[in-house]
Amino acid sequence: MDFRQFTVAVTAACFLSLGLHTTASASVIGTQQYLSAEARAGHLATIDAALSRADVQAELVSLGVDPADAVSRAAALSDAELAQVAAQLDTLPAGGDGLFALVGVVFIVLLILELTGVIDIFKKL
Amino acid sequence: MAAGAASPAPAAGRTVRLATLVAASLALAGCLALGPSLPEDPRHELTAVPFFPQTIHQCGPAALATMLGASGLDFTPEALAPLVYIPGKRGSLQVEMLAAARGKGRIAYVLEPDFSRLQAELAAGNPVLVLQDLGALGIRRWHFAVVIGYDPDRDVVILRSGTERRHLERRDQFLHTWQAGRRWAAVVTPPGQPPATATGAGFIRALAAAERSLPASAIDQAHVAALTRWPTEPLVLLAGGNHAYASQRLPEAIARYRALLAEEPDNVAGRNNLANALLDAGCTQAALAEAMKADARVQAGSPLEAPVRDTLAKVRSVADAAAGAPARDLAIDPGSVCAAE
Repeated sequence: MDFRQFTVAVTAACFLSLGLHTTASASVIGTQQYLSAEARAGHLATIDAALSRADVQAELVSLGVDPADAVSRAAALSDAELAQVAAQLDTLPAGGDGLFALVGVVFIVLLILELTGVIDIFKKL
Repeated sequence: MAAGAASPAPAAGRTVRLATLVAASLALAGCLALGPSLPEDPRHELTAVPFFPQTIHQCGPAALATMLGASGLDFTPEALAPLVYIPGKRGSLQVEMLAAARGKGRIAYVLEPDFSRLQAELAAGNPVLVLQDLGALGIRRWHFAVVIGYDPDRDVVILRSGTERRHLERRDQFLHTWQAGRRWAAVVTPPGQPPATATGAGFIRALAAAERSLPASAIDQAHVAALTRWPTEPLVLLAGGNHAYASQRLPEAIARYRALLAEEPDNVAGRNNLANALLDAGCTQAALAEAMKADARVQAGSPLEAPVRDTLAKVRSVADAAAGAPARDLAIDPGSVCAAE
């Protein structure tokens, strides 16, 4: 186990232990617990949170996210968010561009018009 | 004169046609700038919202820095990129934008997908994070921007977007780019200031998601603000009761749970938690009555069943022990706390 793996393991253990002492007593129904019970009653997607968290973490790493960041980022998602990301990371919108859409679209439009003979701007270059 | 003007006409005609085509493709891309002609007007826009020009693919970190900055927290896009940027997707996910804002001690609230909600948040001084599709011809180009204003006279939306500090879009054009992402919009606020358009239940859900990364004082403020604004909302009362119970404020917890049950007599979680709070306050008989009601109402197989059965067993064992022993002195006067009303 190298230092990086060790750091990841320790960070993961810290986040896991955070979830263990949220309610003072097992017989009191916490707000989080109530919300997830409500969601289940509403037939919303239920997931194995721990399993999905590990999946999302691995996927983030495979998409180039630093492994230590991936642990904390997967831990930061709520159960509902986790379910969404685990199920459809490939198709979820990822906001990034904006600058280059414009240039690309203008070029494609001009190229199509050029090829179909509507305009004639590249011939004389 | 007329003949002289006529001779370059074919070339001029082509230039005009070309210019029209370029303008049309700009409009298609959703990026048609309206020019700098509209001066900043504090009546219609939040002029103090900071601006961080984005670098390549990094509109997520830039928009997040803008949102956090407006809520009073200074972060650079570079500092936020490790929290939201995904190199392999060359972008950032909506849920990670929310999670990162929560991680910095803020409440992230997703608005109802309607332009009027966006306007209401702006009116309350909250800039709004939006997801737009700036693509065209079937190519998706997702982009995060921050709406800082809307000028109703000119029907123009004003955004901090990309490398533009003030990006102006006609409203219909904005609505078109906003529609593709199901009109997703979110605000980022300090925990003690629920968003203008929030519902009580929605705010408690947003708070529950953020609670883990908030300091105790911020959680206190959030509950106080929620109870002030939505004094009869059942979920606000349950969460407020739970928070008071966790903070060892038993009389307050009991009062919150009772207020909840006045609104929703069949709320099993509220009934169960009231029994626990009463038991801890020394009101064994009242606790037993509530625990039995909760036990009678809980649905078999519900995730709430196990804690409700536990509560009844615990209260019964205390009641049985008390039956054989002399009454003990209580820290809290049972007359005022235990009585149902």
